[in-house]
Amino acid sequence: MRTIFQALWATGFSFIVACVALQAHAQDAAPTAEELAAEIQAIKQEYEARIQALEGQLEAMSTAPAQPAQPMASPMGRKTATTDNVFNPAIGLVLDARYSTHSADHDFNPAGFQVGHGSERPLEGLALGHPELALSGNVDDKFFGAATIAMDAHPGESVELALEELYVQTLPGAGLPDGARIKAGRALWTFGYLNEIHLHADDFSDRPLPYRAFLHEAFNDDGLELSYVLPTDIYAEVGGGLFRGGDFPFANSESGTSTLSAYGRIGGDFGRNGAWRIGAYMLAGEAHHRSGGAHDHGHGGEEEEHAHEEGEDAHDHDEEMHHDEDEEMHHDHDEEMHHDEDEEMHHDDEHLHAEEEGPFEWANIDAFVDGEFSGDVTMYAVDARLTWAPTGNPREQEMILQGEVFWRVEDGMYSLPGEYDTPSFSDSTSMGFYVQGIYKLNRNFRVGARYARLSPPDIPACVLHEDHCEHDLATPNLDDSVAYAVMADWTNSEFSRIRLQYNREEVHKFVHGPDPDAVLFVEQDDQILVQYIMSLGAHAAHTF
Amino acid sequence: MHRFLTRALIAGCLTAAAALSALPASAEVRVFACEPEWASLAQEVGGGDVTVYSATHGGQDPHHIRARPSLIAQIRRADLLFCSGAELEIGWLPVLMQRGARIGIQPGQPGHLMAAEHVDVLERPAVIDRSLGDVHASGNPHVHVDPRNIRVLASELAARLGAIDPDRADAYQTRLADFHARWDNATAEWDARAEALRGTPLIVQHAYWAYLFDWLGLERVASMERVAGIPPSAPFLQEVLAHSRSTDVKAIIRANYEPTDAAEWLSERSGLPIVELPSTVGSYPEVSDLFSFFSEILTRLEAIPDQSASVPGFRQPTG
Ligand SMILES: [Zn+2]
Repeated sequence: MRTIFQALWATGFSFIVACVALQAHAQDAAPTAEELAAEIQAIKQEYEARIQALEGQLEAMSTAPAQPAQPMASPMGRKTATTDNVFNPAIGLVLDARYSTHSADHDFNPAGFQVGHGSERPLEGLALGHPELALSGNVDDKFFGAATIAMDAHPGESVELALEELYVQTLPGAGLPDGARIKAGRALWTFGYLNEIHLHADDFSDRPLPYRAFLHEAFNDDGLELSYVLPTDIYAEVGGGLFRGGDFPFANSESGTSTLSAYGRIGGDFGRNGAWRIGAYMLAGEAHHRSGGAHDHGHGGEEEEHAHEEGEDAHDHDEEMHHDEDEEMHHDHDEEMHHDEDEEMHHDDEHLHAEEEGPFEWANIDAFVDGEFSGDVTMYAVDARLTWAPTGNPREQEMILQGEVFWRVEDGMYSLPGEYDTPSFSDSTSMGFYVQGIYKLNRNFRVGARYARLSPPDIPACVLHEDHCEHDLATPNLDDSVAYAVMADWTNSEFSRIRLQYNREEVHKFVHGPDPDAVLFVEQDDQILVQYIMSLGAHAAHTF
Repeated sequence: MHRFLTRALIAGCLTAAAALSALPASAEVRVFACEPEWASLAQEVGGGDVTVYSATHGGQDPHHIRARPSLIAQIRRADLLFCSGAELEIGWLPVLMQRGARIGIQPGQPGHLMAAEHVDVLERPAVIDRSLGDVHASGNPHVHVDPRNIRVLASELAARLGAIDPDRADAYQTRLADFHARWDNATAEWDARAEALRGTPLIVQHAYWAYLFDWLGLERVASMERVAGIPPSAPFLQEVLAHSRSTDVKAIIRANYEPTDAAEWLSERSGLPIVELPSTVGSYPEVSDLFSFFSEILTRLEAIPDQSASVPGFRQPTG
């Protein structure tokens, strides 16, 4: 499986390299490609002939319109120019506030995953959601620039500003080959469907499980991305990027250029009123001392400390878990065990009774939550989206089906700092997916449902014992966490929406404590969210 | 690994070869029309020298379209972009332009043709505010519903095509002359038919028909959208209803793509007939070009009974 993926990605990536190489050849006409084999030479020669022919055609086409004074050669003359933005840059403010209730007492900590900032459940009660200030505009004829500032407004505390995006991308006038674009800075990069989409444009109030576990909401590292739309009848786009390696699931890159991506997408229409798109993506890099709690944007330690200061909530919560709530938790847990999960639990118990002594197994288990990961991380994703409007008017009625699958391969170790300074090896694959459907009943009302699932690593970890890995230790069968969501929202105009959502999460967790009978349990969380999302000023047009 | 990469590179080159050979051999000018009326005009003036793609069809509301993948693929290869402009396509065209469009169809280039930039735009607002709606912030963009504007744009289009494809500039001018001759004949006939309609008081659902009313001298008593683009509200509909009773309104006009509920509500209470008009070419099978578009509009307007609500069965809603 892995090999196939690698082959797929290598092909995609090399394609871009090939395109760039071809462009370079077309320009200097002095090919230096010794490093490539002779088979490539033949292809290349054929190409150069073809490109010269194309260039000839292009020249013939482009010399002519240069003579008349551009569009003013029109018989009537231009009466008005109406397309330019009145304001530059365009400024937009997203207003987002919500009310949430949860039935679970604990944080979102699915067993086998290191969770962090973007994985959290929304703050209970009344709170601001994810307000954003967005600025964008054409820098000049060659570049477009944009910035999005997310405001993390912890109640009662100062507002924490996060630079979610700040990038420049080339416009068609920049002189790149037709269809090619370079984007550089920090952005919501191309990886799956939702990653590129701003949270306020989501169809649900929260990101689905795999996004929360694998990407901590979204991958918006610092870096650059090249993309190319092929000149084909069917929509086809390929691209790849180079990133710092500072955003989850990567961390603390030493070189600052340690993460690579590649993707390919195709899409088209079905019938008069339907459209589809599918894509495949890869993201590969490394993590050094990656901890879950802090959102790392390449300033590693500093920001981590900062986050700990600011995030007192999280801290308190941890302590609660350790001390105050142990009893309550066991109680909950016991109930769950006895009623719902008897068989499963017995199975796990057997494993655990097998080794009762020593703190190692606990260190091992907790490493996912509290420990640090160092090693290689590779992620793959496949996404598909299908839209259909009965009359061709998505504003009146529409059906949208969407799904994404993620695989993550981590090859490295989880280790717990401090008292349990035990590295835990992990070389395993975890998987997650979601599928969702949205139905727009009329101009104002939409309903939707979503199912998400998260499969922890097959072999969660092992404990290093005198230089060898003891797999037998504390490797309970981790079960999948699942989440169901249904929502209904009311849209007054394109700029205002009010949403009601119900979530049920069944999260498989490790219990935090030295009681060997109580290792795994399922925490069921029923959530109700009421949210409004409104926007003032410029409102970026949504892509497909 | 090195060997693997080399092979992958070869595979990539082969893919690129396949992609490049998929390019059409002919040098036809590829026209990307945002709406069917411009696609139809491009076909008239471009004939066999152009390949025309219409981003929307006659049943769609051009204000609200998804920037779907096929549109990116089409605009990626377009040599001429032909749209209404005046922000009609603001919700979807900019995304396409940024993603895939060539330099030749960017604003200021011969390949960038916005109809509203070449005619007198009606209903240009003095104040821009969201509470006044978002769809007609630069004035009314539905400029195609006036044959005089079509005539102007045919000339402009022929000039643009000639600039993009100078080898066939003469062919475009020849076809333009032919089109103008046929168009002037048709317009004269429509003008004659329009005499009987002059001054007819009507209620419209959306301000789609400003140019039609201007051309035919019809009287717009009210628009059911207080704010262009925002669906009619109940209190405002009540106002329109009261207004329709106090004046001698003949009918309610709605475009084929618009939802029927508000017009039916008003029709039931006022007894006014609803006249559905084609919004563009292709709205009905029989509206196959710009000629049949205008004659169908006139035919439907001529069918409005003289006395409001006096002819039973005339497109009366069934509730
Ligand atoms: Zn309009």
